[in-house]
Amino acid sequence: MKTLIIASMFSLSLMGASTEVVQYMKELSSAAKTENKSFTGFDAARGKEIFTSTHTGKQGKPTSCTACHTTNLSHSGKNALTGKVIEPLSPKANPQRLTSAKEVKKWLKRNFVDVYTREGTAQEKGDVLTYILKN
Amino acid sequence: MKTLWNLSLAAALLAGGVYVYADDEKEHTRPIQSKPLSKHDQSATALYKKECGACHMAYQPGFLPKRSWDKTMKGLDNHFGTDATMDTNDTQTIQNHLMTYASKNDRITDIKGAVALRISQTPHFVREHREVTKKMIAQPEIKSIANCTACHTKAQAGSYREREINIPNYGRWE
Repeated sequence: MKTLIIASMFSLSLMGASTEVVQYMKELSSAAKTENKSFTGFDAARGKEIFTSTHTGKQGKPTSCTACHTTNLSHSGKNALTGKVIEPLSPKANPQRLTSAKEVKKWLKRNFVDVYTREGTAQEKGDVLTYILKN
Repeated sequence: MKTLWNLSLAAALLAGGVYVYADDEKEHTRPIQSKPLSKHDQSATALYKKECGACHMAYQPGFLPKRSWDKTMKGLDNHFGTDATMDTNDTQTIQNHLMTYASKNDRITDIKGAVALRISQTPHFVREHREVTKKMIAQPEIKSIANCTACHTKAQAGSYREREINIPNYGRWE
């Protein structure tokens, strides 16, 4: 019974992600365990902190994920440099999101580099995806 | 004959050809590419528009020479201060697409002694925008001279006729 509850909680938290993105998150989870023995699972609160905090980005200026995506993931944002509209990140507002593992990998890599000037760890990537799925 | 011309114009625009120069007075009419698109070209064009167009207008390849696009594609890890990398296959497809449709006309795209990375550095662009003021560009609706679509209402489709220009808060060009 306990297993069933945990299993359904897990699938509930992944609602909105496609099978291949769910698979990618499982890979991230395995990698996170290898990186950090005390890892017990992804956390939306940690993901929120990663997403909303300000850092010196690749441009050498303070920036954050929210600089382009805004703090409301159901709203569209704007590329802070070009002004081009960015459709909402939340799969609830934009069903196209988190459907392609290739797209997810590409943007996580790029955007971690732009905001943090380094690639994210497996745990950080999983935390951010968990945060996006919950919002 | 007119239909044929329109069809070849449509094909060129689909590939990312540029219909810049034929304004109403036929002031600067210039030939454009007119061969029909293969399936491969169509998918490469779609990929180019999707990938490059995610952050900014997918500028028509004909605005820069091969050497400019080559340098751009080799520096995607630091593309105007952002990471614009893609997987190897997509990078190669876009690289090939740009090489095919790059400008072959140095008179409009060459900057002496350097490789232009910005279309706005090239001589034809500079000449065509000589009357555009900094104040116009600085408006929040425009932000940057790189934002073609802010004023050229059909830029994404590859058309830059004068009668299609509408500058925010200034209006039509003519």
